[in-house]
Amino acid sequence: MGEIELSCRAYVKMHLHACLFPRCSVNGLLLSSGAPGGAVCVTDCVPLLHSHLSLAPITQLALTQVDVWCSQTQQRIVGYYQANACASDSSPTPCALKIADKISEQCSNAVLLMIDGGKMSPHDRVPPIVMYERKDSKWILKDKHTIMLRQWEETRLIANQMLDSGDHALLVDFDSHLDDITKDWTNQKVNNKILELASPANGNV
Amino acid sequence: FNSISIFPFLSFTEMRDKLRKWREDNCRNSEQIVDVGEELISDHGSKLGDDVWIIYEQVMIAALDCSRDDLAMTCLQELRKQFPDSHRVKRLSGMRLEALERYDEATKYYEAILQDDPTNTAARKRKISILKAQGKPAEAIRELNEYLEQFVGDQEAWHELSELYINEHDYGKAAFCLEELMMTNPHNHLYCEQYAEVKYTQGGLDNLELSRKYFAQALRLNNRNMRALFGLYMSASHIAASPKVGAKVKKDNIKYAAWAANQINRAYKLAGRGTKENKCSVKAVEEMLESMQITMS
Repeated sequence: MGEIELSCRAYVKMHLHACLFPRCSVNGLLLSSGAPGGAVCVTDCVPLLHSHLSLAPITQLALTQVDVWCSQTQQRIVGYYQANACASDSSPTPCALKIADKISEQCSNAVLLMIDGGKMSPHDRVPPIVMYERKDSKWILKDKHTIMLRQWEETRLIANQMLDSGDHALLVDFDSHLDDITKDWTNQKVNNKILELASPANGNV
Repeated sequence: FNSISIFPFLSFTEMRDKLRKWREDNCRNSEQIVDVGEELISDHGSKLGDDVWIIYEQVMIAALDCSRDDLAMTCLQELRKQFPDSHRVKRLSGMRLEALERYDEATKYYEAILQDDPTNTAARKRKISILKAQGKPAEAIRELNEYLEQFVGDQEAWHELSELYINEHDYGKAAFCLEELMMTNPHNHLYCEQYAEVKYTQGGLDNLELSRKYFAQALRLNNRNMRALFGLYMSASHIAASPKVGAKVKKDNIKYAAWAANQINRAYKLAGRGTKENKCSVKAVEEMLESMQITMS
């Protein structure tokens, strides 16, 4: 199947989400602002839950709200990510498959991304992720050569910097939003922080 | 981790009081506990009196959570010196082994405690936690059920069991656990709301109606529970949209949904005041409510 590219912003936010709730399973949606057809570029992500991932109401609510936000901002939902609480097990759970199935109804080349908790470290040479794509109604491992992450070094540096300075605490997922609806699950603050750190003036490139 | 304190310039009493509050509220903010506790112990240990032992225990557990084995060992050694035969301290030794993923050794520690004292609930719970950590949910569930046969009033255990069942998608059994919790804690809005979510997930008209009732009950107990408010909106909308319900039920549920939508709008308008940040969420909710209205009629 097709090529997929993961942007710095999407990766960093997923990574921060997993680190913010190390004892919980977390999940979220992968978004793209590119036009459909051709290679998929995951330009952003929305962190969703850190509790009761397999219960329906809040998941449905989140999917609907993110869908609405996407149509307002010319984005589409192109995938789903999850990090399991049990770091040694990075296989997709039934609920991950279910949500990914639902997404692939609207997006034929949707991806399912599992964060491999056991492989996360500040010195990863490759991103600790496993990606699946849909083929013949089953989710199979995606060929590693079709997955691109430009400037992995820089991305990793930014993620580490934000963790060190405690900025991961700024990240809002949908669960936290429901606890306090003044919090923004589109995470504009974190997006800006990432931009700041990524700018050439910061010496990161 | 950086070595800059999260809480610079706290006085001795402030540090001690913070630790006490976190103990009382059973918070798991381990990084903060390590930050404050380490300083308190090293700089003010002599002023703590008998409190020092419970603080050593609190800091030790937090240190394990943050992979600070050095600090955990320091605390553990002090506790071992002071309480050489204590089961409570032995449990902490076991927890350290768990943190180092030496699960078989840890299990032996707990089994030794249980040989000596079969009613030691802490050791039993640690054994169950190990099963969870090892990715053995079926065994953890079995052991926890056995535990609850003996200790039927243990709320924490009932809640843990409900969580395990939810993870395993065994919603019927999760509902049963939550029913136990609601019976003994009738004023707890979170149990009502979680029960409603489980019922909603089970699906089918009867379960949806139950879920709506319990979302409503959760709101009666806490009218700021947003999950319950959204849950009420969604369950009522789905019931109203179902071809299987009669005219009266449809009408009633449209009313409930409309009320909930109104409350949601109000809550978001209030939240939106003064903050530019969440304009996106406010707009998204408004549109969502509009689009769902269409499917209902």
